[in-house]
Amino acid sequence: MLEIQDLCVSVEGKEILKGINLTVNAGEVHAIMGPNGSGKSTLSNVIAGRPGYTVTAGSIRFEGSDLLALKPEERAWAGIFLAFQYPVEIPGVNNSYLLKAGLNALRKQRGEEELDAMDFMQTVREKAKLVELDPAFLSRSVNEGFSGGEKKRNEIFQMAVLEPKLALLDETDSGLDIDALRIVAGGINKLRDPSRAMVMVTHYQRLLDYVTPDVVHVLADGRILTSGGADLARKLEREGYDWLLK
Amino acid sequence: MTDTHDTVAAMVAALSRHEAWRYTKLSPLVAALGAEWWQPADQVADSHTPAPEFDAIPLDGTCDLPAISRQRQATPEGGHDAPFTAQLNRLFARQTTAIRLTDGSHPEQPLLLIQRADGGACYHRHTLEIGAQSAVTLIELFDSGRSEAALCSSHLQITLQPGARLTHYRIQQQAASHHHLGSLQIEQQRDSHYRLHAIELGGGLSRLDLTIHLQQPGAECDLNGLFVLAGTQHADHHLTIDHAAPHCRSRAEYRTVLDGRSHGVFNGKVVVQPGAIRTDSAQHSANLLLSKRAQIDTKPELEIYNDDVQCAHGATVGQLDDEQLFYLRSRGVSEDGARTMLITAFAEAVIMGIRHDPLRQRVEQAVLSKLNNG
Ligand SMILES: Nc1ncnc2c1ncn2[C@@H]1O[C@H](COP(=O)(O)OP(=O)(O)O)[C@@H](O)[C@H]1O
Ligand SMILES: [Mg+2]
Repeated sequence: MLEIQDLCVSVEGKEILKGINLTVNAGEVHAIMGPNGSGKSTLSNVIAGRPGYTVTAGSIRFEGSDLLALKPEERAWAGIFLAFQYPVEIPGVNNSYLLKAGLNALRKQRGEEELDAMDFMQTVREKAKLVELDPAFLSRSVNEGFSGGEKKRNEIFQMAVLEPKLALLDETDSGLDIDALRIVAGGINKLRDPSRAMVMVTHYQRLLDYVTPDVVHVLADGRILTSGGADLARKLEREGYDWLLK
Repeated sequence: MTDTHDTVAAMVAALSRHEAWRYTKLSPLVAALGAEWWQPADQVADSHTPAPEFDAIPLDGTCDLPAISRQRQATPEGGHDAPFTAQLNRLFARQTTAIRLTDGSHPEQPLLLIQRADGGACYHRHTLEIGAQSAVTLIELFDSGRSEAALCSSHLQITLQPGARLTHYRIQQQAASHHHLGSLQIEQQRDSHYRLHAIELGGGLSRLDLTIHLQQPGAECDLNGLFVLAGTQHADHHLTIDHAAPHCRSRAEYRTVLDGRSHGVFNGKVVVQPGAIRTDSAQHSANLLLSKRAQIDTKPELEIYNDDVQCAHGATVGQLDDEQLFYLRSRGVSEDGARTMLITAFAEAVIMGIRHDPLRQRVEQAVLSKLNNG
């Protein structure tokens, strides 16, 4: 589904990613772990198409076609979703208005009919239950005045509504207390699907206790140092990153 | 008549040295209507007012509400201290329509004043007195009949008697070939309340001089402005809020959205007189520049002559937020759609204050279609 080859990315002239190779297949859940500043968010952002990054070498292909040629919204239409590490507050833009616009744009691209207001509300209410999000949040401005945990829940809720093929979850576990973590992880597990791939970015083992990954990668200083199964994450939890960085 | 024209020519020449006209030049009027652009058009324009899409009490000749009296009288001469827009209007508006809403009346429907220009210079002049303890909404629409070049000159003087409350929606949606010189003067007596939503969408050059006199204790005004400009449009609001009595409160919140080579000017002057203790005044101007060639000049002016006051002011100028744009696009909204969402959200802060549903929808639609058509 996703094939990244020799990807090098710089920001403001500084090289951040230094030759990433990564293949993610449908149905798989990958975890990317690594110390702060290693380039995890950069990788997720470049896949989602955030402006401000320069790809100096390498390629990203999604379902066989060149992803880097697409605008951010075209990547969303192709089935890519990024749950932001820091979801931005957008005063004056209504949460459900945004979702309806996004979902209907997506459906149009897939040749499906737009949802009317009734069907949309029904879908959305169902999905809100998945992460125990109070439907009152739907009529509020996007992320405005949400607590850290509510913002993260809102991201997973949006993912549930938009039903992406590839979900990138950037530090979705950070800032969550243990109850919220359980709820969010439960939502993620319910969204696991043989046709859907997920890449979870995290620097803690915490989330992985609830969502067991198929593959774990360690990213440090812009390179993937090693990859392994779920037990690699547990080893990192016990021994830290030092043994790898030497 | 030649006397009058010499007078106007001298007044216009003097404007080039006037600080209040530093950012607004009358050259578009000269280009559109000739050197003597102020020459009144032959026809009186308010003969064919279109029916509005909502119920309202028209303030033209057809108004038959007993609570409202209406008289046309010759415009009195004199009064040279008024701003240029008011003086010009006085010179050429031969008649003044004087309207009074009687004491203690609360009409359910809004009062409606439609003012238009159909080609050439058209002068409209009204006084409106809101009787004591009355409460009413006034909708003032400026639009265009034909599309030939025109000037709409408007002067409206409103008196709010003790305890009166007026909500005033002033919507300028003239054709692009039409220019606007407006003067709005508000006299507020004890415990009166005036709320304004002034929306600038249309016209080429549009200027409003707004003067509020808080004459007696307990008077309050709440002024809200929104400019949505594109192309070479120019809109300028000069506000003077005169706190002449104790315990008065004033608020001004302006937002501008400027695209193309448009130019917005906001000047908010607050004067606090020596006796006006416990004055509470705040103004804010927020400006969104959508293009590198758009320009905003925003300036607060405070003249405070006593210590017992609270006066705040602030201004922000910015572009659309890249983080917000990316967030919306990552959810599948097109780039144009995302821009429109953010601009609308910015403007909505003012539009939401329009508590008359059909009018709010009309303004929302006008803003949207303007954003979509550039
Ligand atoms: N917009 C940016 N401008 C400058 N430096 C950046 C920017 N984004 C990321 N970086 C730098 O790139 C490196 C990797 O950042 P990031 O991808 O956020 O790491 P992680 O998510 O693994 O913590 C850091 O050194 C960070 O300071
Ligand atoms: Mg990060």
